Amino acid sequence: MPIIEAQGLTKTYKVFQKKDGLLGALRGLYHREYKEVKAVDDVSFTIEPGEMVAFLGPNGAGKTTTLKMLSGLIYPTSGTAQVLDFLPWKREDEFRRKFALVMGQKNQLWWDLPAADSFQLHREIYSLPLADFEKTLADLTELLGVQKLTRQAVRELSLGERMKMELIAALLHQPEVLLLDEPTIGLDVVAQVAIQKCLREYHSQRGVTMLLTSHYMRDIEALCDRVLVITHGKLVYDGPLVGLTDRFGAEKLVKLLFDGPAPSDLGRFGEVTKVEGPTVDLKVERTRVAEVLGAILDAYNIVDVSVQDPPLEQTIAKVFQQAEPANVDA
Amino acid sequence: MVASLIKYARMWASLGRYTLARELSFRGNFLVKISVEILWLFILIAFFSTVFGRTKSIAGWDEWQYMFFVGCFFALNGLIETLFLDNCNEFAELVRTGDLDFLLLKPIDEQFLITCRRIDWGCALNIPMGFGVMGYSLYKIGGPVDPLSIPIFLMTFVSGAAIAYSFMLTLTSLSVWMVRNQSLMEMWWLFSSLARYPREIFVGTWASPIGVFFTFFLPILLVVNVPSQAMVGLLDWRMVGFTLIATVLCLGASRAFFRFALKSYRSASS
Amino acid sequence: MSTLELGAPRSMYRSVRKYAKIYRASLVERMAYRSDFLLGTVLRFLPMITTILLWQAIYKGGEDSTQAGFRLNEMIAYLLLTNISRIFSSMPGLAGGIARDIREGTLKKYLIQPIDMIGYLVSYRMAHKTAYVVISALPYALLFYVCRGFFDTGWPDLLTWVAYLVSLILAFFVGFYFEVCVGMVGFWFLEVTSLLYIVMTLNFFISGHMLPLDFLPPFWASFLKALPFQYMAYFPAVVVLGKVRGQDLAIGLLGELFWAIFFMMLARTLYTRGLRRYSAFGG
Repeated sequence: MPIIEAQGLTKTYKVFQKKDGLLGALRGLYHREYKEVKAVDDVSFTIEPGEMVAFLGPNGAGKTTTLKMLSGLIYPTSGTAQVLDFLPWKREDEFRRKFALVMGQKNQLWWDLPAADSFQLHREIYSLPLADFEKTLADLTELLGVQKLTRQAVRELSLGERMKMELIAALLHQPEVLLLDEPTIGLDVVAQVAIQKCLREYHSQRGVTMLLTSHYMRDIEALCDRVLVITHGKLVYDGPLVGLTDRFGAEKLVKLLFDGPAPSDLGRFGEVTKVEGPTVDLKVERTRVAEVLGAILDAYNIVDVSVQDPPLEQTIAKVFQQAEPANVDA
Repeated sequence: MVASLIKYARMWASLGRYTLARELSFRGNFLVKISVEILWLFILIAFFSTVFGRTKSIAGWDEWQYMFFVGCFFALNGLIETLFLDNCNEFAELVRTGDLDFLLLKPIDEQFLITCRRIDWGCALNIPMGFGVMGYSLYKIGGPVDPLSIPIFLMTFVSGAAIAYSFMLTLTSLSVWMVRNQSLMEMWWLFSSLARYPREIFVGTWASPIGVFFTFFLPILLVVNVPSQAMVGLLDWRMVGFTLIATVLCLGASRAFFRFALKSYRSASS
Repeated sequence: MSTLELGAPRSMYRSVRKYAKIYRASLVERMAYRSDFLLGTVLRFLPMITTILLWQAIYKGGEDSTQAGFRLNEMIAYLLLTNISRIFSSMPGLAGGIARDIREGTLKKYLIQPIDMIGYLVSYRMAHKTAYVVISALPYALLFYVCRGFFDTGWPDLLTWVAYLVSLILAFFVGFYFEVCVGMVGFWFLEVTSLLYIVMTLNFFISGHMLPLDFLPPFWASFLKALPFQYMAYFPAVVVLGKVRGQDLAIGLLGELFWAIFFMMLARTLYTRGLRRYSAFGG
């Protein structure tokens, strides 16, 4: 029984076309032209309870719009979704009590008050029993190492500390579904790792279902087994993270260590990406790896050789690029 | 029903507590705000004293009856400003930045959370100040006070506040469609100018229809007039009854409009 | 300002062109928000209607048909005209914006780019005002046409018209530089918005926006007429009503010019001093 189910979700926006110049602006006063933009186009997927799923896609691909539809903030133009057996955009109190949305670029805590006061308010809003509330709060502050900061006004906290407080606020009512939109944006590496650790531990303890978008591959590698790739509003891949490379990574990275200086004519086998003394990195089409390796082993004295997938980020970049022309045709 | 009423009342009380803590951490600001309000009351009194130096009555209200009206307006306005104005004023900004999202996700009535989130304690003093002016005017008028008129006054005073709140909520809802809204503060100030003077000034061929329109169709004129009239003028039962009905209708209509506006709210970022 | 240097016509031309560009871009931005204008203009008329009715009721309750030298019609004409004065002299958001720029450090943008802050603000504000005057000309013309019955003192002569125009333009500069000065206080005190509220509230009364200064007791009337605030509402209105003539008119206009220049120089001084202090603190 899936916990999140989306069927043919589509969202179309009307965008006001602003004209250039004074005359254009004057005309805009009386007559406006609109353009239709499909932010999300026929997206379907299901997520089982306890899964940690990543949403990948370039800026403006429709990730946030999808998250907003799943959390009931906006209505889809067509299609439907079920989250925790609720129709999200009916916004029933019972539904809203069971999930949380964290947005990295926004803050929901009261700026001028200590985070502890915002937490208390949260308790009132979600009608949490005092004992549960205090237990959860103690656990979370310890997990994130911010016990000493909750009495400090939020505006005086660093970005990383603030994000940790946001996360605590989102988890206080023990949501069953957690939606995270760029939770680590703008954070330094230490804070990023702390947030990842908190999410992982919280997940292993409570089995919460998570759906997150992020720009940082590190977040996704650290947290998620499954990825949904969305470009130009369309879902182009749904499967395990490692499968991305099989599906889209057309090349392999061959690392060679020569006995002596590297030869200069390796370009005929593939793309040379790095030469450093006796070591060479060579990108080779996947189908030709065996053939190329044989040829090189025949021709030169090789000390060591390894075949790797190129870094995930390069593969992802490729996925985004590949998806583009297909969409223009459509 | 009762349980949820208690829950909301408790929540409102804690919201009030937190906002007070917040205001007090900016003490200087708080003091200035209060002094602006005192200054404003003095200007109003100076204005009408000057005017009553040259006239005996305004539209049938003599000096101290009128001053009672001014005090009633001041207290009502103070109540609205304390409880709602800041929140409504911020709504356009919440829409623009998309921070409204967070409020909509809470398992709580959206209208309550948006319009009652903060209490602007800097304006709270206006309420006792307005009551002070009303009390002094009653003393100046002299004579016994009909004991019945006090509960009627309090009831219509609360009704007036509810009607004014409904209009403010309606103006607030409009900001969903206006991307860069003019500040609600200003719109409210302009619109509420209708309630600032006695209903009886709307006389003459072109003005009486306006008076009727804003009494019976968009009943903003009831807000200060009916409670003041009940206390220092003639008690008109039909007007009191109508005010109570109008309060219910206004609250219902403005809530429906607000929900309609939220429906077409579109998050700022896609 | 570089434009004041002698023998630099080219740089002056470029400078004018630069500020003209700012003016144009700001105007485009203003026009784009039609809903602001429409609803705003409609609402703006409500207080006028109630004010007219209030004064009708006040005069009806009094014994004399002339109060402090104003007949009822003149009184209403006066109040309508103060709105015109305020269109020119009110500067919503100006002082607050400057104070915010100082507080949040966004002031740096003026220091990094080859642009003078006050010059930029004048251009922006003039654009804002032009757009506002253009957009609201029609509704105001309509309003004055509807209310033509109140203007029964006869059509002003050419000299009065010229004086009125001059007094309005000077009202813009008095209002503008006064607000800039208030904003500059932000270099010394971080919280200027509150000061601004007090000034605005007080200004409403002492500029004559609520009632003609002549209504007040003689001492207060002459005291307020010695202050610059009367030029933001009272003075232009009584000029076009023909209540100030001859020598008084000349003295009044000179006084207005004096206050405009006074605040201009004060703004400049505060800005220079403030900047020195600002950079000394490292922003």
